[in-house]
Amino acid sequence: MNETQQMLEDSVNRLFGDRLGWDQLTAIEEHGFPTALWQEAVEQGITKVLASEAAGGMGVGWYDAYPVLRAAGRHAVPLPVAEAAIAEWLAGQAGVELPEGVPGLLPATLGPAQLTAAGLRLDSVRTPWGRNADYLVGVAETGTGAELVVASPKGLAIASEDNIGRDPRDSLTGTAALIARQALPQPADSVRWLGALARSAQIAGAGAAALDLALKYSSERSQFGKPLSGFQAIQHYLADLAGLVASVDAITMAACAGLDQRGMAPSGRNARFEIAAAKCRASEAVEKLTRLSHQCHGAIGFTYEYGLHFLTRRLWAWRAEFGGAGEWGEYLGRIAAEVGGDGIWPAITA
Amino acid sequence: MTSVADKLRFEPSPLPAHLETLRTEVRAFLKEALADVPVVTRSHSWEAYDAEFSAKLGARGWLGMTLPKEYGGHGRSAFERYVVVEECLVAGAPTGFHWVADRQSGPLLLRYGNEAQKREILPKIAAGRACFAIGMSEPNSGSDLASLRTRAERTATGWRVNGTKIWTSNAHRANYMIALFRTDPDPNKKHAGLSQFLIDLSKTRGITPRPIKNLQGGRNFNEVAFVDAELPPDALIGTEGQGWRQVTEELAFERSGPERYLSCFFLLRKLIDQVRDRASPATLARIGTQVAWAATLRTMSLSIAAKLNAGQDPALEASVVKDLGCQWEQALPGLAQELCELEPTLEGFGTEYQQVLGSLVQVAPSFSLRGGTPEIMRGIIAKGLGVR
Repeated sequence: MNETQQMLEDSVNRLFGDRLGWDQLTAIEEHGFPTALWQEAVEQGITKVLASEAAGGMGVGWYDAYPVLRAAGRHAVPLPVAEAAIAEWLAGQAGVELPEGVPGLLPATLGPAQLTAAGLRLDSVRTPWGRNADYLVGVAETGTGAELVVASPKGLAIASEDNIGRDPRDSLTGTAALIARQALPQPADSVRWLGALARSAQIAGAGAAALDLALKYSSERSQFGKPLSGFQAIQHYLADLAGLVASVDAITMAACAGLDQRGMAPSGRNARFEIAAAKCRASEAVEKLTRLSHQCHGAIGFTYEYGLHFLTRRLWAWRAEFGGAGEWGEYLGRIAAEVGGDGIWPAITA
Repeated sequence: MTSVADKLRFEPSPLPAHLETLRTEVRAFLKEALADVPVVTRSHSWEAYDAEFSAKLGARGWLGMTLPKEYGGHGRSAFERYVVVEECLVAGAPTGFHWVADRQSGPLLLRYGNEAQKREILPKIAAGRACFAIGMSEPNSGSDLASLRTRAERTATGWRVNGTKIWTSNAHRANYMIALFRTDPDPNKKHAGLSQFLIDLSKTRGITPRPIKNLQGGRNFNEVAFVDAELPPDALIGTEGQGWRQVTEELAFERSGPERYLSCFFLLRKLIDQVRDRASPATLARIGTQVAWAATLRTMSLSIAAKLNAGQDPALEASVVKDLGCQWEQALPGLAQELCELEPTLEGFGTEYQQVLGSLVQVAPSFSLRGGTPEIMRGIIAKGLGVR
C-alpha cells in the first residue's frame, strides 16, 4: 500500500469505525439517512476522493482511492460513498462542478430520447439514495458521444424501496430540470463499469469484515471444551474465507490500477477486461463468503442483534447490483469465443 | 484498526513492459518447437519428459535464468523466468525433464550447495541437461513429512542410507535426487534430526527405483529403495540438522509458481474452441467465469513473484494461491465435460478434445496431492490467521 492509500484508509477507518457500530447501523435502519455522518464524510473529503483538484478533490486515481471504496464495504456504510466517488470522477472528466449535497447516481445509460428541452425524462429509474438526493448525475448517449448530465430531483415522483442491505434504491419518475450537461470524454456506459468496479471493492471490504467477525467469534465461543477455532473444520472455513477475500481484493486492485493506466474506452487494450473479471469474481465469491461466515457463527449470526447481517445482506445485494457473475461472465465469455482458445491467454496477458 | 485480511494482500505487480519482447520470442519458439507434439502430451506438459526439448530450451538461455552467470546461469530476474514458465505451461510444452531442476533444485543448490556442487551441477541445470528427482515422501510419511524415517548414518567414508522414498517422479531416469533423510534418530528431534542430501544417481549403488503405475497407466513416479547406499561426505547439502528449514524454503518455490493454476489451462483453451461457435449466453457465462478466475489467479501469482523477487518470504500467500488454484483447476475437467457432453476418451480414440479431456480428468486428482494437500495449505493459512 502506498502513502496516499494508507492515509485514506486510516482516515475512513477512523471515521466509519467510530460511527458505525451495530447500534448505530440499527438506528440508521430505523430512522433513515444519517445526515450528520454524511456531513462529516463530506468535511473529511471522503466523498470527494476522486474529485479533480479544481473541484476540491485530491486528484488521485482509482488505485489510490481503492481503500475508500473497500472501507465503504468493510463498515457496511449506509451512505452513497461509492456513488459520490463515481459522480465526482465523471464530473472531473467532463470539467463540471457538482452541486453541494447528496448525489443520486443514475445507474443506467441515458438515451437521447430522455434528454428533452424540458429536462431529463425518467421513467421509474432505480436510483441509490434517490429519496435523499440533492441532485442527480448520469451519463447520456447523445448519438455523437457521451454527455455528463446533472439534474434536479425536485418534483419527481419517488417510489421508495430498500435493497436487502436496507440501503435506499428508489425509483424516480418524471422530468428532472437540467442543472448542467457537458461532453464527457468517457464511454456512455461508464456508470455501469464504474459501478461494477466500486461494488467489487465493497464486496472485498465486506468480505474482509465478515472474515474478521468469524475469526473473533470462533476464537471466543467454546464447544466440546475448546474454542471453535480449534476445530480443523472451522480452521478450514476460515482459511477458505481468507483466500476468497484475498482473491476479490487482488483482482479489484488490479482492475483499479488498470483503469488508471488504460482507461475504459471500448477500443484498444482497455481496463474492461479486468473490471469484468473483478465483478464476476466478486459476485461469484459472495455465495461462499456469506455461507461460510454464517456457518462459523452458528445460530447467533442469524439474529438481528448480532451484526454479521449488516455485512452479509449487503453482500447479497451488491452481488447483483451493476451486474452479477452471469452478466460479467458472459462479457468475458464473448471475448473468449471471439479470440478462441489460442487467443485467450494473449488476452489475459495483454 | 486493522483487518486480518490486511495480512493477505496481493498488490498488483504487472510485469515490466520490456518483458513483452521476451514473451514474443518464447511464443514464437514454442509454436515451432511444439508443432509435432501430440495434444495429449501437451495437455499435461509438466509431466511430459523430453530431454531434447529441455536441451533446446536451455540452449535458448531459458533455463536456470535466475542463476548467476558464473555458474552457467543467466543472471536474469525472477520475472523473466516467470514469463518463460507461464508461456511453456499454457503452450503445453513438455517440461518434465527439467521442471524440478529449474524450479527448485537449482535455487536450493545455489543457496546451500558447496562450491564444487555449484560448479559442477548448476551449469548442467541451465543447459537443460540435468533431471532432478525430489526424495521427500515415504510410505509412512506423507502430509506428516517430518515423521520420515529413511536414515543417513555417518560412516568413515561419508554416509550410509537405508530406507524407502515414494511418489518420487522420474527417479528411474533422473540424473540427481535431492532427498531429505533422518540424520539424528533422537525421537525428541523430529524436525531437528533431518538433513538434505544431493545424490548423483548415476554413481550411487544401492538405490533401486520401482516404477508405480498411476491410475492412468503412466509410469512417472516410483518407490525408491535405499539399501546401504553409500554417499560421499560432501553429499550433505547445507547444514546437518537444518534439513527441515531448507526443505520448507524449497517448498515455497514449489508452491508459488504459475503451475499452481495453469495445469489445466490447455483444456480451457480447447474448451473455448469446442463451444465458441454455438455457445448459449449461459455457457458463455460459465466460460467467462473461468477466464475471470484465471485472470485473478495470475494477478495473485505475479504478486507473489514480485515478493520473491524483492527477497520477501510469501509462504502464506503461496499457500493461498495453491489452495485457490487447485480448487479452480480441479473443477475444470468436470465443467469441460458438462458444457460439451462429450465422453472423455483414451489417447487415440475420439476427438482431440475428448482425448485431452480424458487425460486431464484422470490427472486432476493429483493436483490436490502434489506439493502439499489443501488440508496442509489451509492449516498453514489458519496459522497465518492466528487460529492455529
